[in-house]
Amino acid sequence: MIAELLGVGHQYQDGPEVFKGVSFNIEKGSFRFLTGLSGSGKSSLLKVLYLGLKPRWGSVKLFGEDTFKMKPTLVPLLRQKIGVVFQEFNLLDHLTVIDNVSLPLRVRGVDEKRSHKHAGELLNWVGLGDCLKAYPPSLSGGQKQRAAIARAIITRPQLLLADEPTGNVDDEMATKLLCLFEELNKTGTAVLIATHNQRILKKFPYLQLTLKDGTLLQQQLEKKAS
Amino acid sequence: MKKDQDLPLKNDIAARFVPKIVILMVYLGTLCFTFTFFLIHSTRIWEEKLTTDLSIEVPLFSEVPSPNLQTQVFDLLKRTPGVANIDIVSQTEMKTLFHSLLGEDTNIEAFPLPTIIDVGLNRNESFDIKGLEFHLKNISATIQIVDHRSWHGQVSNLLFTGISLALLLTFLILFSTLVTTFFATRTSLLIHREVIEVLSLIGATPIYIAKQFQRNAFKQGIIASSIGSLLGLCTFLGITFLFENAGLPFIVSETFIFEAALIFIIAPFITSFFMMISARAAVMKALCS
Repeated sequence: MIAELLGVGHQYQDGPEVFKGVSFNIEKGSFRFLTGLSGSGKSSLLKVLYLGLKPRWGSVKLFGEDTFKMKPTLVPLLRQKIGVVFQEFNLLDHLTVIDNVSLPLRVRGVDEKRSHKHAGELLNWVGLGDCLKAYPPSLSGGQKQRAAIARAIITRPQLLLADEPTGNVDDEMATKLLCLFEELNKTGTAVLIATHNQRILKKFPYLQLTLKDGTLLQQQLEKKAS
Repeated sequence: MKKDQDLPLKNDIAARFVPKIVILMVYLGTLCFTFTFFLIHSTRIWEEKLTTDLSIEVPLFSEVPSPNLQTQVFDLLKRTPGVANIDIVSQTEMKTLFHSLLGEDTNIEAFPLPTIIDVGLNRNESFDIKGLEFHLKNISATIQIVDHRSWHGQVSNLLFTGISLALLLTFLILFSTLVTTFFATRTSLLIHREVIEVLSLIGATPIYIAKQFQRNAFKQGIIASSIGSLLGLCTFLGITFLFENAGLPFIVSETFIFEAALIFIIAPFITSFFMMISARAAVMKALCS
């Protein structure tokens, strides 16, 4: 089991509960969509999964480790098993695109030559082959999105979390990126994508976890011809 | 941007003042440390040269004829336990001494110069000054005994205090350099909080992040402290030149030259090493707490 959430709830300071009693599992090799209206808590739930947010209630187990009880030194090691596509991209503006994408490999101790080779191949695949030496501020929203995705998947993580990964790209690129996620999923990576893109949801009929009024609903869409 | 540096620390506003402080601190530190060694060597040499612990003044006019008096004092000293050496200060030395005190034009021959006997003591044997004084007064009440050991001790204490203060000052300088590095790193951590957060989210360990700060602190330290050390060396050479020109020996021994050179060479490495440790401590404390 990759992740086990049981009765998870969160509230920012004295504000309303973002979500409550959320329970679900992420199995190895699963593919899930996390849907819900804007502000329904999708991003917060993803944050809980990548250890960026400690929920107020419930229990979260990641890769068998209870996140409430584990030693702080374990956090980076667990994060190394997770790839995250952030909604705000979180690219480092002072690094080139290729350096940004190869960063997770360098953090894991891969040498520069090898990490750049991998990053270059991946960037070519996502259509950023001519932007290797560009800096993020000079990229468009869609290009940043693709660079962020490349960075998240370069390590072939055991769990991929993506927050609105198709929000800034056209349909054609969105489909291409989803196909990339599917390919990654076939190699064993569990994928959880937060999105409200209905076209994507119809085209890729995987289990949907829907956050509504702070609670989680599950539904399976039937596959439609693409 | 070098690939071993994921944080933009090179153009860090917070750390811009650090090299200037390090230059000043290393400059002062190396000079202070060199001065300490100078004091240590000077003290050692001075102590080695000191052979006189007591002076016995035998007056020219006394109830006992002078040659007999000298012989009696000599015999007494030879019998006294703890006495290592006995030397009569020559008349030429006496004249030189008096000329320096009273002026070159003074006719020394007109003065009734006493005989001065320098006595060196064996430090490993016990010596009874009261007993010697008693026996000397028995020979002649006009014989005076001067104990130099009290002011030797005072001078030694003064030099020891000087050495201790110089060492304390050196360590304070080193400590303030480390504190400066520590707080500059803390400020830098705040400035680059967002980048550090991203690095943490993609799996960077605190050690990985600390290494970035360490490398930067080491680079800054080695450059700045080399400049500080070089400036210190120039000042040291300048002081040496001025002292030697004034006829005062500054290079007190060969060992001192060797030690001074060693200080100027190793100071940049020691400083940058400790700066590196300080930067690492600041990062680890912030990220692991």
